[in-house]
Amino acid sequence: MFYREAGQFKTSYKADQALLPILQDRIGLAVILLTAFVLIPVFANDFFLTSIMIPFLVFALAAIGLNVLTGFCGQLSLGTGAFMGVGAYAAYKLTSIFPDANVILMVLLSGVFSAAIGAVFGLPSLRIKGLYLAVTTLAAQFFLEWCFIRIPWLYNYNASGAIEIPRREVFGVIVSGAEATPIARYFVVLSITAGIAYLMANVLRGRIGRSWMMIRDMDIAAELMGIRPLQTKLMAFAVSSFICGVAGAMMVFFWLNAAEPSSYSIRLSFQILFMVILGGLGSLAGSFLGAAFIWILPVILKFVPGLMGIDMAAETVEHATFMIVGALIIFFLIVEPHGFARLWQIGKQKLRVWPFPY
Amino acid sequence: MNAFALDTTTAPSDETVKAERELLLRVDNVSLSFGGVKAITNISFDIQKGEIRAIIGPNGAGKTSMLNVINGFYHPQEGTITWQGQVRRKMKPYEAASQGIARTFQNVALFKGMTTLDNIMSGRSLKMHRNFFWQMLWRGPAEKEEIEHRRKVEDIIDFLEIQAIRKTPVGRLSYGLQKRVELGRALAMEPDLLLLDEPMAGMNLEEKEDMSRFILDVNQEFGTTIALIEHDMGVVMDLSDRVVVLDYGKKIADGPPEEVQANQDVIDAYLGVSH
Repeated sequence: MFYREAGQFKTSYKADQALLPILQDRIGLAVILLTAFVLIPVFANDFFLTSIMIPFLVFALAAIGLNVLTGFCGQLSLGTGAFMGVGAYAAYKLTSIFPDANVILMVLLSGVFSAAIGAVFGLPSLRIKGLYLAVTTLAAQFFLEWCFIRIPWLYNYNASGAIEIPRREVFGVIVSGAEATPIARYFVVLSITAGIAYLMANVLRGRIGRSWMMIRDMDIAAELMGIRPLQTKLMAFAVSSFICGVAGAMMVFFWLNAAEPSSYSIRLSFQILFMVILGGLGSLAGSFLGAAFIWILPVILKFVPGLMGIDMAAETVEHATFMIVGALIIFFLIVEPHGFARLWQIGKQKLRVWPFPY
Repeated sequence: MNAFALDTTTAPSDETVKAERELLLRVDNVSLSFGGVKAITNISFDIQKGEIRAIIGPNGAGKTSMLNVINGFYHPQEGTITWQGQVRRKMKPYEAASQGIARTFQNVALFKGMTTLDNIMSGRSLKMHRNFFWQMLWRGPAEKEEIEHRRKVEDIIDFLEIQAIRKTPVGRLSYGLQKRVELGRALAMEPDLLLLDEPMAGMNLEEKEDMSRFILDVNQEFGTTIALIEHDMGVVMDLSDRVVVLDYGKKIADGPPEEVQANQDVIDAYLGVSH
């Protein structure tokens, strides 16, 4: 009833192939974009921007990156954290070498380096599939983490072994370093994430996206349709690592200000993987939903006892949050193993026939 | 090309070869073994342009292996394959695809997570060329190309009468419809040679009738050469122009359906005689 496409006739293939062919979806997206670009900057406080929105958008972008590889091309990877790290260190080196260059450009350029490294570690995917491939990407994770620790050139021989992001201005606005305002950072992160999400939505519905899904669903048949397996898989690795690299660079430039090798550890890889699985493999919207669940929910939960007037020790709250989030993850995966994206689709179907149950 | 037709005088079926027809594919003395197991032993046959060629034989006779050799999955240890007058080198399946060989599978090999439309569109992959950059922008060349190919795909959807399931994920379709979508996907490649591995397996009578009609239509309207493996003898005898019979990896008969049906070796192979 609320979500009914009756009466919306399409008279051209162009209209039928649109990203959002249904009017209600277009309205929904417009509302989301309005909220993100206008309402949140106007009404949100610094805490909301720095602790919730910026990390959420960074993780959402990383989840999109992993989703391209795992959800759309079917290649399981545990090296996401390391590929994000490559992006971060590459962007750091680039902005150290070219201090006057536009830092946003440097962050985007850093993706090229992680793409190249991702493609190299994607080479075994021609022969190895599934969990075995995951193990080879695990090798990437450990090797790259080792590089971040053992190659001092990467962190400019800093005594602490960490990278500290210098102050950088873009068109007179400080966007990185300690003095940058949350609002400036938020706009940069939001624009990059939204932009890449849109471009990827286009790629995924066209020939290239289809070729990835062909490899995922039935690699033998894909090969017989003329798809070159190695080329296609490496492309997925490169694109995925590019996006993860940009997300990793954004993570340190616009959120954390400083990062150590341990920021990009296997823990981060798993965190992103959970976002993708929980959000829905093979769904861009799912990447956002998964990131929201894994990142925003614990932050909110931490404030619940305080708001309800319950006096709890900080560690107890922390532990309770872990338990609640863990239980919810298990609950949602039992309810819908295909993640939030599928739940959302089922919800849409229900809305379509509402108020009837069938 | 006609020189090749004359060249086949040594083939056993030469009385039946219509001299005016060109050869599309010729298999000469091909042998294939996996370790000690001989899947195919010294088989020669040919496929002419525009015909429906059936490959039959009891289970394990090497029929599917033969198809796998033709589309480059297996590389025979001995023998040569001549494709459109050129002796073929060892090649990958995707190269066979780009030369115009399409195929369906015995156990449906559709892309389960994609819709019917996307599955058939995937058959157009080789004919689409816009690169990553244009795909990202979408507006402009990439969209134009997509619409152009969508039109071709819609023709196939019309032809196979599957308009209603256009946007349905193929995993949800019935087996008969899945087979039909798979045929559509192969047709989208506009192949010169279409290999069908048991297109009627597991179908009811009505679905078999539909499928037979589609196969004949594809052959007669689009002029596509078809090689099919099938166990339903009624269908094979009615559809095919020529039949090659394999048993235990060896060729035991080759010729028009009536001739093959009367062949004592074929009857023995199917009824089971001690070897």
